[in-house]
Amino acid sequence: MPLWFIRGLRRGVVTTRYPARPDASATALPTPPAFRPGKLTRELADRMISVCPGPALSRADGNLIFDAGACTACGRCALAAPDAVTPTGEFELATTDRAALVKMIPILGEER
Amino acid sequence: MNPGPDETATATRLRAQIAAQFGRSLHIRTLDTGSCAVCEQEIRLLSAPHYDLHRLGFFFTPAPRHADLLLVTGPMVRAFTLAARKAYEAMPGPKVVVATGACALGGVYRPDPFVHGTVDAVLPVDVWIPGCPPSPLALLNGLGVAVGRLAEKTPGLTFIAGGDRS
Amino acid sequence: MTAVEPRATGRTRDQLVSSLAGLGSLHAERRGVVTVRIPAEALEPATHAAAGNPGVRLADMFAEGSQEASPQAAGATADSDATVLRLVWAHEADEPGYIITETEIEDEHYPPLSDIAPAAFVEECEIYEQFGIRPAGGKPLNRVMLPPHNGIELPTLGHRPGEPPAEVHAPHVVGGQAFEFPFGPVRQVGVESLYYGLVTSGEEVVDLYLFTWHKHRGVEWRLRGKTMHEAIRLAERTEGLSAVATGWAFAAAAEAAAGVAPPAAAARTRAVALELERLYNHAAATAALCQATGLSVGQSAAEIALERLLRVNAATFGHRYLFGVIEPGGVSRAPDAEALRRELPGAYGELLRATDALLRTNSFVDRLEACGVLTAEQASRLGLVGPVARATGLATDARRAPVAAGGPYTEIPVNIVTAQSGDVFARFQVMLGEAAESVRLVMEFLGGGTAAACNLVPPRASTGLGWAESPRGEVLAWVALDEDGRVTRARLRPGSVRNWRGFDDACRSQNVFTDIPIIEASFWLTAAGMAR
Repeated sequence: MPLWFIRGLRRGVVTTRYPARPDASATALPTPPAFRPGKLTRELADRMISVCPGPALSRADGNLIFDAGACTACGRCALAAPDAVTPTGEFELATTDRAALVKMIPILGEER
Repeated sequence: MNPGPDETATATRLRAQIAAQFGRSLHIRTLDTGSCAVCEQEIRLLSAPHYDLHRLGFFFTPAPRHADLLLVTGPMVRAFTLAARKAYEAMPGPKVVVATGACALGGVYRPDPFVHGTVDAVLPVDVWIPGCPPSPLALLNGLGVAVGRLAEKTPGLTFIAGGDRS
Repeated sequence: MTAVEPRATGRTRDQLVSSLAGLGSLHAERRGVVTVRIPAEALEPATHAAAGNPGVRLADMFAEGSQEASPQAAGATADSDATVLRLVWAHEADEPGYIITETEIEDEHYPPLSDIAPAAFVEECEIYEQFGIRPAGGKPLNRVMLPPHNGIELPTLGHRPGEPPAEVHAPHVVGGQAFEFPFGPVRQVGVESLYYGLVTSGEEVVDLYLFTWHKHRGVEWRLRGKTMHEAIRLAERTEGLSAVATGWAFAAAAEAAAGVAPPAAAARTRAVALELERLYNHAAATAALCQATGLSVGQSAAEIALERLLRVNAATFGHRYLFGVIEPGGVSRAPDAEALRRELPGAYGELLRATDALLRTNSFVDRLEACGVLTAEQASRLGLVGPVARATGLATDARRAPVAAGGPYTEIPVNIVTAQSGDVFARFQVMLGEAAESVRLVMEFLGGGTAAACNLVPPRASTGLGWAESPRGEVLAWVALDEDGRVTRARLRPGSVRNWRGFDDACRSQNVFTDIPIIEASFWLTAAGMAR
């Protein structure tokens, strides 16, 4: 047991200060996408919808509908439309309102 | 029957009181409704040295009678429905249900004969935590939101680049 | 630790293939997989021929229904009502590879294969639930995927059984006074749902059986009609702790069907990801062993190592659990090689320090030794895989069988780690040896060069077998694709499907209740992989 005690002391504290302070390891986490309305054409929207493995992306009334709750951050939409997509870097997504996770992004040149 | 103004005020006060209590000492029970096992690994790491949920007044408990919060993973496999309801009902109120991970939020499995597809098809969910899996940091954020210690960011996020956030 | 090599007494692989082909007809031979069509009346002698060979192990058995029978299936036409039964034998002595026998079963019964190859029993139960065909002889079958309560109508992959398996669990012989203690599926904190039926006379484990039907998501059913690109993200979530291995096996099955292979650099990338997956799983198993033995300090030390390894995964591949790396035809991401070379030694060193200290902690080692013993004979009879089998001395490892000519493990062979005593301690030793070996392999593969690249997988009506060595053992995947490249039948067989059947053998024989979590940690399986 002294073996463990000494090793433990020598190892020091690794505990994060989160949420009081930000944690640097968060920058390496996969996060949901943000979309650029200025680049988001109907064609790119449809391409992203077809490569999304889940129900996170759909289209209605001239908007791309993004369900951040259904998103697995797989990155396929970013690969399919790199100009229109950028990572948010957001991992603090917890909410008491499920509907708040569903966002509308206007599609370029579409009637709404 | 809608609550009158007095009842609503009481409920609000009670809710604040409960959040204050839970915020200081919260006991968490976990429930797997059909996950791929990775969400469970991230949940286990909450008690690991890097994250140490105890420093925030959060504790795990295997006893439903002792639990305040039910942390639920998985797409609610239909064959599990009865077990899920029993686990929920075994917890005395007040209690909070947190659906965690893309499966629990409807992102991986659509509703079909095997699965409900979302946890809220069977249990009343109070907090949703996205991610596949949600990292321990995201889980800590979710638990903080569940007890009212952390403000939610999601309503303010647009997921539009060059917009209000990111 | 000298390995017990599977002995091919009597027959080499070629001789076995010839004798099987003599009973039926040789259908195809491609890249390590031989497919032989066996008529129903020759299935019993064919199974004897394969099972009787010590160098051969039954790796899987599954069926394909006539309504979605692939054009390649043994003579099945659109009108035929037959079910095609496939047995996948792993040949591990000379020329490691696989032999598939395909047999068309016209009526409800087929020969009692689990009498010849006990490893087939769970699959016989599964096939009965999904396809309605059962072995002759009236042997009672367990429920596997179907819940034993009413109100749940689940679609099946083929014909529904005439009567559902009435037996919830096949009767077991229990000596003396014993009672059955149902435990689960909701168990302790942070573990998957899993139901144990514990048969005990008090403290001692007389028998133990498992049910995972409450986690059955119907993955094989759900994959039908999907393209490989659509299917792979779901396939890797069958058993997320083996995401790389399962995704690789599944992609390799489609690649074999199409006759393509990933670019060499992409294949090395897959191998890097697979070894990183092995590393973090073994660290997690170490932490679980410490938790099961009540050594909190050791658990914390192992968890620090595990967290560091997961951060290495995130930094190099963009995901802590390596989801999203494998694609059909290659990989979508390459590791940040510089970051990996820099970070991995430190993270592994953390694990090494923790395990060195554990090996010098007698109170810990004492709990592991002589606990949960499995013999090589049991492992071989039940067709066990992975560290569980290697800890009994069997040198079985799917990395020995090349996935494609010039696959990554052909250039850089694995030194297979085995142990002899077959107990929890032996499994722990195997995991430690494998972790060191994984670090070596990662560095070698990085040296060979990695890249994010995919070769096109052209749509073609065909079938293919893929495999990979997950942290818990061999994963097999088999697909039948139509001319648009959509799945008509997908078979996923994670390592957990093989190894859970050894769990009750390991828990019996002088083990008590408190040994069960220790044995479970040493197996390090998942309920998800079994239930899929």
